[in-house]
Amino acid sequence: MKARHPIRDQVAIVGVGSTAYSRDSGKSVLGLGLEAAVAAVRDAGIHKQEIDGLCGAGMTPLAMGGAGFLSLQGALGIDRCTWIKNGWLGSALVYTVEAVFAGLCDTALIVQVNVRSLTMSRSASRDLFRARAAQYRDVGGDVGLGDFAKRWHHSGEPYAAMMRRYMHDYGVGRDAFALMAVNNRSWASRNPDAVQRQPLTLDEYYASRMIWDPMAMADMDVPVDCGEALVITTAERARDLPQKPVLLHAMSLGGSRVGEFYENALGWTENAFWIAMEGLRARSELALTDVDLFYPYDGYTVDAVAIAEAAGFCGPGEAGDFFRASWDARDNIMRLNGRTLVTTNGGGLGMGRAGGANLYAEAVRQLRGAAGERQAPDARSALVGIGSFFHDPSAVVLRSD
Amino acid sequence: MNEPDDEAVFAYYPDVKIDQDNIAHYRGLMAGKLMFNRCGDCDCWIYPHRPLCPRCWSRDVSATEVSGKGKLYMYTFVNQSRDADAPPSEPMQVAAIELAEQAGLRYLSRVINCSREALRHDMAVRLIWIEDKGRRWPAFEPAI
Repeated sequence: MKARHPIRDQVAIVGVGSTAYSRDSGKSVLGLGLEAAVAAVRDAGIHKQEIDGLCGAGMTPLAMGGAGFLSLQGALGIDRCTWIKNGWLGSALVYTVEAVFAGLCDTALIVQVNVRSLTMSRSASRDLFRARAAQYRDVGGDVGLGDFAKRWHHSGEPYAAMMRRYMHDYGVGRDAFALMAVNNRSWASRNPDAVQRQPLTLDEYYASRMIWDPMAMADMDVPVDCGEALVITTAERARDLPQKPVLLHAMSLGGSRVGEFYENALGWTENAFWIAMEGLRARSELALTDVDLFYPYDGYTVDAVAIAEAAGFCGPGEAGDFFRASWDARDNIMRLNGRTLVTTNGGGLGMGRAGGANLYAEAVRQLRGAAGERQAPDARSALVGIGSFFHDPSAVVLRSD
Repeated sequence: MNEPDDEAVFAYYPDVKIDQDNIAHYRGLMAGKLMFNRCGDCDCWIYPHRPLCPRCWSRDVSATEVSGKGKLYMYTFVNQSRDADAPPSEPMQVAAIELAEQAGLRYLSRVINCSREALRHDMAVRLIWIEDKGRRWPAFEPAI
């Protein structure tokens, strides 16, 4: 069934800006956000006072500090905004596009920042700046503290448990996860901005250090310091700007009742990714076989595998066989249905952990035809799915003429 | 024996975010009872701790002890600690237990008295209490 969908092709991405990706930037969260923001606004070829909407980085809509809109707007010297919000992962883009379409603002800036937090690595845990920043961060309550029954919220443990449950329910091994990791690392080796440029072999995947059994190091994105920004405006306005517009063809979020209590996870095919992809299918005029590029969020490989199955590339539990049948042994990458390329910048596993923001950025560059040596020929459409297995992921189709 | 008052619950769990919606659960833990809210109108079990029944929107919910029977829904082994200077001496098991009272009613815990190799999805387990750093916590063991 088709859904009511007046937003189709009415909003465009016209600017993109990224910081360097590094293990230790020596910059503040806000500093990284400002750097990406300035690059995106310059890329868009607009004056900063044309920006009247701002989506900062944060898990709570009004969080202060960091690269939230409260800090960004003043730091960027933007005088007036008529729409402001914080967002994270894939949903930040969807929130911003709906605001532009609704007319709450005409030209909006999205800024997302990810840094290595204290709990992500040993060296980060010894960094006094990170420690002090963490003391003042909104920790979201008592997650991971005190009571064992609350220990796994917002970490990889429930994802690992879900990965194990998937392997059990469908009687499969780790092949789907392994092939996704190899694909992304192959692409990262062709991305000069990637932090992890060494390709990965299947043997190396299976030898990777176990963290949350059955999830290993190679299943997890690489924590880095980075910033990403996009400029969004109406398709009409985009025609007068210097860059080739990339249109928001269709989008959807996915929400389930599970929220942050991950042990209440619904079945593999009832979770948030499936809800988002069903919402997208009801709105998009592009069939899956029309999609040139596919960007499944890879915070953990289990996310990317779930998104591929939710998108309908194959049935539940079939990703391992499907990826193997899609394998291009020459380049060590996947070509889904013989053509669709997957995560052409290396994603979080290879380029670095950007909360999926680098998937939006890469899709834009590819659809502009500006992706350099990794440019996919004649790329006109991209399917992007970004977010948590358990809550508020986005599903987006981008296209260019 | 008198039930611990609110102040005592707060004092006993300085590292837990006690609030109006979960204090009855923690008062129960202090007394060796595993309790979750249950709707007085439609009998729905409610977890996480919320003051409203998600099924019928009744606010008549009260903490009620569960039988302690359940099965192992999903689990993992944690090889890495949040505190980089205090790695676990052996992989720590984390398990979501689906309680017998209601489909989908799951509680995060651990399964003890069972080798790692013997763990199975959907295996029957029962509540047992363990001591951890001077406090009593729920755990589960195989129900044979």
